[in-house]
Amino acid sequence: MRRWLLRRSGAALVTWVSAVLLLFFVMRLAPGDPLDRLSGDRPITPQEIAALRARYGLDQPLAHQFAAFAGGLVHGDLGVSIQYGRSVTALIAERLPATLFLGGAALLVNFTLGLWLGVQQAVRRGRAVDRWLTGLSLAGYAMPSFWLGLMLAWLVGVRWRLLPAAGMTNPLLAVDAAFGTRAMDLLAHLILPAVTLSVVSIAATMRYQRRAMIEVLRFPYILAARAKGLPETAIRWRHAWRNALFPVLTLFGLWLPILVTGSVFVESVFAWPGLGLLAAEAVSTRDYPLLMGAALLVSALVVGGALLTDIAYAVLDPRVRYA
Amino acid sequence: MASATLRLAVCASLFVPALSAGGLAQSRDAKTIVIVTPQQATVPIPTMMEGAQSATTNQEMADQLFLRLAELGPSLVTSGDKDFVPRLARSWSRHDSLTLVFELDPRAKWQDGVPVTAADVVFTFERARNPQIAPKLAGLLRHLTSVTADGDHRVTVRFDRAYAEQFYDATFHVQPLPSHLLAAAASQPELPHEFVANPVGNGPYRWVRSVPGQFIELAANPDFFLGRPAIEHVFFRAASDPEARMNLMLTGEADAMDNVPAPPSNIQRLAAAPDLRTVPVPSPVMGYLLFNQRDRTDHTKSHPILSDPAVRRAIALALDRQTMVRATFAGYADVPYGPVSQLLWIRKGSPHAAGRDTVAARRLLTAQGWVDHDGDGVLDRNGQPLALTLSYPVTSEVRKQLSLLVQEQLRQVGIRIDIARLDGPVWNERRTHGDFDIDFSSVVQDPSPSGLTQAWSCTGGTNVAKYCNPKVDSLIDGAIAAYSDAGKRWQAVLRQIEADQPAVFIYASTYVFPVNRRLNRVSFHPASIWLLLREWSAK
Repeated sequence: MRRWLLRRSGAALVTWVSAVLLLFFVMRLAPGDPLDRLSGDRPITPQEIAALRARYGLDQPLAHQFAAFAGGLVHGDLGVSIQYGRSVTALIAERLPATLFLGGAALLVNFTLGLWLGVQQAVRRGRAVDRWLTGLSLAGYAMPSFWLGLMLAWLVGVRWRLLPAAGMTNPLLAVDAAFGTRAMDLLAHLILPAVTLSVVSIAATMRYQRRAMIEVLRFPYILAARAKGLPETAIRWRHAWRNALFPVLTLFGLWLPILVTGSVFVESVFAWPGLGLLAAEAVSTRDYPLLMGAALLVSALVVGGALLTDIAYAVLDPRVRYA
Repeated sequence: MASATLRLAVCASLFVPALSAGGLAQSRDAKTIVIVTPQQATVPIPTMMEGAQSATTNQEMADQLFLRLAELGPSLVTSGDKDFVPRLARSWSRHDSLTLVFELDPRAKWQDGVPVTAADVVFTFERARNPQIAPKLAGLLRHLTSVTADGDHRVTVRFDRAYAEQFYDATFHVQPLPSHLLAAAASQPELPHEFVANPVGNGPYRWVRSVPGQFIELAANPDFFLGRPAIEHVFFRAASDPEARMNLMLTGEADAMDNVPAPPSNIQRLAAAPDLRTVPVPSPVMGYLLFNQRDRTDHTKSHPILSDPAVRRAIALALDRQTMVRATFAGYADVPYGPVSQLLWIRKGSPHAAGRDTVAARRLLTAQGWVDHDGDGVLDRNGQPLALTLSYPVTSEVRKQLSLLVQEQLRQVGIRIDIARLDGPVWNERRTHGDFDIDFSSVVQDPSPSGLTQAWSCTGGTNVAKYCNPKVDSLIDGAIAAYSDAGKRWQAVLRQIEADQPAVFIYASTYVFPVNRRLNRVSFHPASIWLLLREWSAK
């Protein structure tokens, strides 16, 4: 097991380093320049651009720029954002919690409500509930998240005034407000973006869970359990559901990077101050240091998600260790 | 039973925060307002707003924290000193044609209680004039030769030449910093982190806190020597998405917001809300079709089509700019005469821009040999079709709509326009490197007409289309130097540019600001939108 884990982790590290290399050079080869943009709407002279280019090291050959980036990375320094004029590490550290909070809430809904609904569909296969839930989940899956977000913000936030239409906290809340008051405020702001993210993504979880559960419920040991007179709830959750979780584990690994990347539109529509929005801005402004910081994090989540899934499989199914 | 409990829990989890949110929205008092803006200020510190940090948001925030020596008045005339109002300087005098002397108001204090002195002004100008620290400011202040202190309250500014905007240059670009807090970092581009994170200014508002990505809180400066602002707390809330900003206005979570984004139906939507009203303000934004004078692939050669002034003139005549602008902006823009936004004072007295005249346009093109020989609807000459590419950034809805109208109107006179809708950075790169036929440009102008030098003179740093007429350069030089008849001289510049037609000037837009009706004495300064916030009050 230890050798397998080392081998798998080594492969993950190599994949991540390759991704970093590729990202660095592809990003610089892409058309557009972070400083050319400054000559757009508000005039800035070529001399000023040259001075700024020197300040950010963009006048150096690509190999030198990469050496500087790699040297900084070793020490945990991702450079200074061109757009914000601040340390990229600090910017990411500021924004990451909001994204993890939103993504975490969406994942929680996905992997609690989604799994539960998937199981309910499987045990009621072919009945009206199953058909309705299938229809509804697919409708949610087909909806663009930004559109759904706009509709929810308008209907629930603007028309009904039930929940805040945008933002993460109420700025008018006193700094020394009680924990409970602040938690309720945060929750009120979280509901609409989390629901938007979940509605769009929960369909996949439900479909995977439904399919896996239907297959497991056909196995002879389930029939044997029923023959022994075990209660249906025990058969469903203790015997069938545990074995039907494997395919969903794969999905969990895939969802991890979506914690960051999947919420870009939702963060924008709800003015949620997360990393997704920051990364999108970095793309549109070609803010190389910030873009690399965000890309490093996302690639780490992709590789890490896959690794975690493999490890979970190995722990739950010993046969996988020798594959 | 379990199912009923679950249902109850779900309902409670939705309704308790909902009730809480509803309650919080009502908790604002008459001394607190929320303003929603597209971006959050990151470095609102004078001499540090360079490059990407030169964003308007930073300058607007700096205007709440730091005062200038004098403020540009409502008529926005940058020539001479008649339209300026005292701020840190209570008076000024001219020693000779190259020397201005400012007397600082002895009541002015930094928010830590230390008096503002001439040493602060000298310290800040030294930073601003250093190209290693502030390349953009150093360029703007290039005609200042020295800034010296004479005692605690007198500052002398000297120039290398006589020109009408000396006063503007000495007051508009630089807001003094507290030298007693920053002396150790005088020659460093970056100021200490503690100061940047919690700036100490001398303006009507003081910095309270910044929550990254969410909002900045300011509080009224109780010792502000020009009078304590009526509004005690101001929150500048950030929301990059226009829909999110409008939703915050419509729900009453924000009291004011920046310019309403296109389309004009957004203005109608906000104006229809009973709690809101809209305030139009002249904007510094001007949009124009820029003709490349050089071949886009070989810059040593003239452009095969657009280097001909008759073709450029024909394109201008073929466009019904008034109708296009009315359709796109619903009255919140006009067609400028020359490259002037509504912010520039030199537009006063300009004639109307030429209207559409397709017959004259066709006549001009025919005279130049452009005829539809093959009957395909597109004019051609020596086998070359009169076909051009019009490029604009994908982010601009206004330019997208106008481009389609331009394409259709030019088609009617036999000119084929291929539209290139480009990713912002790609568009910028191509524009900067002269890789375009017609570029749909948009510029945010400073109040000074001398900024026209950059784009419309032969050696202008942002003259990407390589338009060059020495006569225009000479007229601009004369207008910059003129004291008494600057307005007339600038009009001559505009007339010559219009005659050369290096571009078709399409729109000079008006900003529209929605504000909550509970706000009183609301006024906006076109050169810095929230500058007059200290005069506002709320019910």
